[in-house]
Amino acid sequence: MKTLALAVVLAATAAASGARADEPMNDLEIAHAAYTAGGLDIRYAHLALAVSENDAVRDFAQTMIRDHSAVNEAAGALVTELNVTPQDNALSQALVEGAAAKRAELMMLDGAAFDCAYANNELGYHQLVNKTVAESFIPAVTVAPLKALLEDALVTFRAHEQHAVQMVAGLRCAD
Amino acid sequence: MRRLTHKTRRWFGQGLGCALALAGLHRTVRAHDGTHEVEVRIAHFAFDPTWIEILVGDSVTWINNDLAPHTATAKDAAWDTGSIDRGDTRRITFEAPGEHPYFCAFHPHMKGSILVRSRSEG
Repeated sequence: MKTLALAVVLAATAAASGARADEPMNDLEIAHAAYTAGGLDIRYAHLALAVSENDAVRDFAQTMIRDHSAVNEAAGALVTELNVTPQDNALSQALVEGAAAKRAELMMLDGAAFDCAYANNELGYHQLVNKTVAESFIPAVTVAPLKALLEDALVTFRAHEQHAVQMVAGLRCAD
Repeated sequence: MRRLTHKTRRWFGQGLGCALALAGLHRTVRAHDGTHEVEVRIAHFAFDPTWIEILVGDSVTWINNDLAPHTATAKDAAWDTGSIDRGDTRRITFEAPGEHPYFCAFHPHMKGSILVRSRSEG
């Protein structure tokens, strides 16, 4: 349910999330939102490593930390190179708020219940973020190096989405 | 005995080259008899090429073009490049013949294979 709520927020804010509601996001806001999304997934992963004893879940969480750290490191290097400062915005704030609520929900769980909730959230989160990056961020970005970085990052995030599909299937959460 | 003219030798060479090419479609083209280094590029979460054939003493160099780090890790754990960050390379030299299926330890759906032939059969 929280994933659905996040989807609605993302859909509403991804296209128009500038200083005014009717303004499209600018490059610096998009960079901030993408960086924020990666950082939040790293936080989910640290929670999974603290709670889960399932090897598949722990391997996935390690991969999220490793890969999202690499993507965010590349983003940080680009920001430094371009000498710009990403701008906080409504979408970034919605992502942070949604993730805090989801973490609170996950922290109430353990064992298989946690594993399934984490895995399903990872799948839903990557589906939403990937759709937003592909359909809103990449078409809207005007600076070529940022567009290239988002395209490279999307390759990584799509691999994560497929990995999440396999993790969910392997956990047999629907049984 | 009729002597081969320059032109005849060229035709013979071209014909031999075509025959060898047709007979050995799956064989590695080798510029010399020494050891070789083969490159495998990692991009879009895949090894390219996924399958290679080399001779004992040859090396394989993996080049990571993805943002995410990857590894090339033998399925039987006999060798491992360790983590390869974006833009980095790792090289492994193969000293024994055999088939070496491998994968990325971070993203296990990424798979490749190396066939190492002995120099006598190569």
